[in-house]
Amino acid sequence: MSAPSFAVPHALLPSVRLRRRLVILAGSIAALAGLLVYLRVDPIAAVRDFHYVTDLIREMLPPNFRLLAVKPSIWNSLVQTVSMAFLGTLVGAGIALVLSVLAASNTSPNRWTRLAVRTLLATERCTPNIVVLLVLLIAVGIGPFAATLSLSIGSVGMFGKLFADAIEHVDPGPSEAIAAAGGGRLHAIRYAVLPQVLPSVVANCFYAFDVNLRAAVALGIFGGGGIGFELNVARSVLRYKDMFACLILIMVLINLMERVADFIRKRLFSMEGELR
Amino acid sequence: MLEVRNLVKRLPDGRVLLDGLNFRVERGEFVALIGASGAGKSLTMRAIVGLTSVSEGEVVFTGETGKVYRPTATSAKELRRARRNIGCIFQGCNLVRRLSVLDNVMIGRLGRIHPLRSWFYGFTDQEAREAMESLDRVGMADFAARVTGSLSGGEMQRVAIARAIYQHPLFYLADEPIAALDPKNTEITMRLLQPLACENPILGAFHQPDVVSRFCTRAIALRKGRIIYDGSPHLSSQQLAAIYGDGGAHPADMQPALVGS
Amino acid sequence: MRSKEFSLARYRRHARPAIVLVALVIAAAWQCEVNFRDLLKGIAKGLSMLAFFFPPEWRAFPEMIHPALVTVIICVIATPIGAALSIFFGLAGARNLAPPWLRLLCRSLIAIERGLPEIVILLILVAAFGLGPFAGIMALAIGSIGMLGKLVSDAIEEIDGRVLDSAAAVGATRLQVIRHVVIPEVLPSLVSHSIFRFEVNVRASVLLGAVGAGGIGYELNAAINQLEYNRATAAALTTLALVFVSERASDFLRARILGGGTV
Repeated sequence: MSAPSFAVPHALLPSVRLRRRLVILAGSIAALAGLLVYLRVDPIAAVRDFHYVTDLIREMLPPNFRLLAVKPSIWNSLVQTVSMAFLGTLVGAGIALVLSVLAASNTSPNRWTRLAVRTLLATERCTPNIVVLLVLLIAVGIGPFAATLSLSIGSVGMFGKLFADAIEHVDPGPSEAIAAAGGGRLHAIRYAVLPQVLPSVVANCFYAFDVNLRAAVALGIFGGGGIGFELNVARSVLRYKDMFACLILIMVLINLMERVADFIRKRLFSMEGELR
Repeated sequence: MLEVRNLVKRLPDGRVLLDGLNFRVERGEFVALIGASGAGKSLTMRAIVGLTSVSEGEVVFTGETGKVYRPTATSAKELRRARRNIGCIFQGCNLVRRLSVLDNVMIGRLGRIHPLRSWFYGFTDQEAREAMESLDRVGMADFAARVTGSLSGGEMQRVAIARAIYQHPLFYLADEPIAALDPKNTEITMRLLQPLACENPILGAFHQPDVVSRFCTRAIALRKGRIIYDGSPHLSSQQLAAIYGDGGAHPADMQPALVGS
Repeated sequence: MRSKEFSLARYRRHARPAIVLVALVIAAAWQCEVNFRDLLKGIAKGLSMLAFFFPPEWRAFPEMIHPALVTVIICVIATPIGAALSIFFGLAGARNLAPPWLRLLCRSLIAIERGLPEIVILLILVAAFGLGPFAGIMALAIGSIGMLGKLVSDAIEEIDGRVLDSAAAVGATRLQVIRHVVIPEVLPSLVSHSIFRFEVNVRASVLLGAVGAGGIGYELNAAINQLEYNRATAAALTTLALVFVSERASDFLRARILGGGTV
């Protein structure tokens, strides 16, 4: 090839880029190894002990669906899990709606309320559900009630900021019209702000229900009741076939609820179309 | 050199999109494929480079040393061998917008690099230098480090041409390379393509009869998947009317004349 | 009188769904053993216990640093592993790259994984490998595949087919197209979503820790079980700080990526 009349910019030279990539790769691997050492985790052990996994799989199969016949309380626990998520979402949404009105700049009575509520919501958002649950378990005892409360409080955190932001983005026109007609702030909120925010509230509720359903399973493992609790019980008595059956039920449940929620949501929106 | 033999493309429902195309392209030619939309220009190009399957017939081209390439063959190896010797310049460029200009040009060499080598090692410095040469030929060497998405349409088209040049192909396929360009960039592009045609033949699809008339050495007209004309690139309005058909407006009416032609 | 009738009629449309909703709520409440008496007792008990929870045991804070680090490190290790694995699943699950059977298989696996909360995955891994951060890392890595794998597949399917064709037309093999076209296209969005996933994983890691994967979650659970409530408060506050910092870091990094190209 004839001599090039233009040189390759240094940063684009393949050899330079290859070297840089190798350095980054080596550095990452070293960092990873360092972190594993710090955690005292031995990844080689995973390879060596892999037979535990195969042993477990052998013990889990076939899943024991007869459990459903032998232990009818499993059905109940499924319903319980769904109820926990349902109630947690609704109650959380309700409380969040009230709080968000206080937290939004256009509906809040004063700056301090707004600041206080926003801080409260932000703090709750930073609190993992488990922390709330552990405290509630002490207060109201083991069972689905604690889990439901925990999910409600968690939902308040999830919804609070979303609703407050939605309220702040509302079209001010209708509220101004009500004020001009002599209505008070509560009237404005009830007739101007809430109707505008409602569609997004409902949409968020569906999303939160899905999240809360998974959380309900997780919290159940901790003593919150529901199918998560059953799964953990089966595991702790080493009945792995039962455990696997519960696992499959969980997957089916979550999948089923996703579709049901989709269906209801579509019907709601077509109904809403009629209502308009 | 490039020979299209009895190319037929039939759809499952029986419609015939390409109906027995037969033509040859020799060294030094700059052949324009013209015709109304839907006549089969793009389809022919895609068939030649193997991007679409062919019901009957074949495409064959030969290299200097007499090696024969069949892009319509079904073996993946044959297809790769053929494709790396065809420089494609497609409408809308289809470059990877996120990559730098140089990276886009270097993609042109992938047909000759072993996949494992390109995965783990990437390209060599020598390959990068040769890519810069190709960029320099189209006047885009200063843009090597720029992100391709930030370039204008005309500039991207030139990068696409650089990529095709970088392949050191046996011939070029250009599918409406100037369709989205303004007159100035059209001029630049065609002035780039013309000398290329002297080294390696170009088969290009064009909508603009005046461009064809100025730059190309031959015109092949397609209508409903059949060749209805094969000859001089200077076409009279009656010929154009016959090609574009139906007495409706055709591009010659709509295109303003090139400045300074 | 008239205005009352008028307003009632307006609500008649909402009557049926409202009744259904109320019935569901009551049924759910019964299922969940919702008990206002217990709630009031609980509130009273909780208020009285506040004295136990506060003030946090200040001496315990330095002891919380290592567990907090463990929780974060679990995520730092697990998230990139999950991201790397999801590249494979994502590639195999894309309509424009994979044969239909492979796509169906991968998409189904990803969907199945998304139906499993991480804690369930952890329980299974614990049954196989025992307690400890290793099971936690693997659970989070596998858990991330559900979200990231789908994102990668969807992103790949959105790549303009003409760009892929154009690369194939120069003679590139499918592997080469993946390496030189597909991966550069989807990598920035994968990195951005992985950083978000990191934040999600931090919260999950707290929960997994409580089950036995170690870290601050474990500390919290242990403290409560041992009735050391002040220590538990210290752990809880550390958790809050951890989640907060990880959220800020995640937002910051993602904003930088969106603003200035790749990191």
